[in-house]
Amino acid sequence: MAETNTLIPLKVHGVLVDPNTDTQIVVLRDEQNSEVLPIWVGTAEGTSIRLALENVIPPRPMSHDLICSFASHLGFSLNKIVITEVKNNTYFSTLFLAKDGLEKSVDSRPSDAIALAVRCQCPIYVTPEVLEQRGGEDLDTWLSKLDQKGSEQPEA
Amino acid sequence: MLNQMNVRGLLFDPYNNAYIVILRDEQHSDMLPIWVGKSEASAISFALEKIAPPRPMTHDLMKTLLDNMDAKVISTVITDLKENTYFAKIHLLFGDSEFTVDSRPSDAIAVALRTEAPIFASGEVLHKQNSEELERWLENLKPEDFGKPDA
Repeated sequence: MAETNTLIPLKVHGVLVDPNTDTQIVVLRDEQNSEVLPIWVGTAEGTSIRLALENVIPPRPMSHDLICSFASHLGFSLNKIVITEVKNNTYFSTLFLAKDGLEKSVDSRPSDAIALAVRCQCPIYVTPEVLEQRGGEDLDTWLSKLDQKGSEQPEA
Repeated sequence: MLNQMNVRGLLFDPYNNAYIVILRDEQHSDMLPIWVGKSEASAISFALEKIAPPRPMTHDLMKTLLDNMDAKVISTVITDLKENTYFAKIHLLFGDSEFTVDSRPSDAIAVALRTEAPIFASGEVLHKQNSEELERWLENLKPEDFGKPDA
């Protein structure tokens, strides 16, 4: 696990809907807008992230709202999430929870981690290793194709 | 009064493109059908079939987080039915205190199956379900469904 000072903070730039597949793409960017990290997620997870970004409060709590509700009832806070690794096109991430100075880390998919981070407004970090290995060029190709088709790109 | 329910299975509803979780009260053989979305249905079916996915799904994460927070799921209760929406509560034990968290039944069932916590339905829900179903059935009746009284 890299030290916090080498970690790169990212913001969720938006969630794109891939019209060809049953997936959505969460686009993360760094503060200088020089790095882009696209992460493919399932429809339910993508929708959950979009609802939170748009500050939509659904009539009934979604699964990630329920997790936040557990944490707030029990007095835990989500300090940060870190996208730690990419192996065979699968990204891995870790949630850092804390209560009374006690920190716990929990393995999670980035989609769940990001859905929780945008709800708890906690920082999102990525390790430099993940940025080196990301498939950024794939996104550019994908985006240019999408632009040609004139499909809409929902953004936060 | 609470009735303990078992998850009897999942059905696909092609008309609504949704899934139906069938809960059953083994003692009184009351059935409670609950319509859920696709991802909620898959979260329930993974637990029913004891499939361990390569990466933790949202409800697996929910369980891991509760374990890490030293909280135990005591029970889940389907508490109410209003305008075709079911309401549920998840009862947690944390330290010496009990916490009650509002949830959708789909999340409550998905968590209960993973934590081996019992699922209950209030007697009121079972009763309302029967009457609401009857109401829906009545609403869908057309005049021609009624027999014509002989003149």
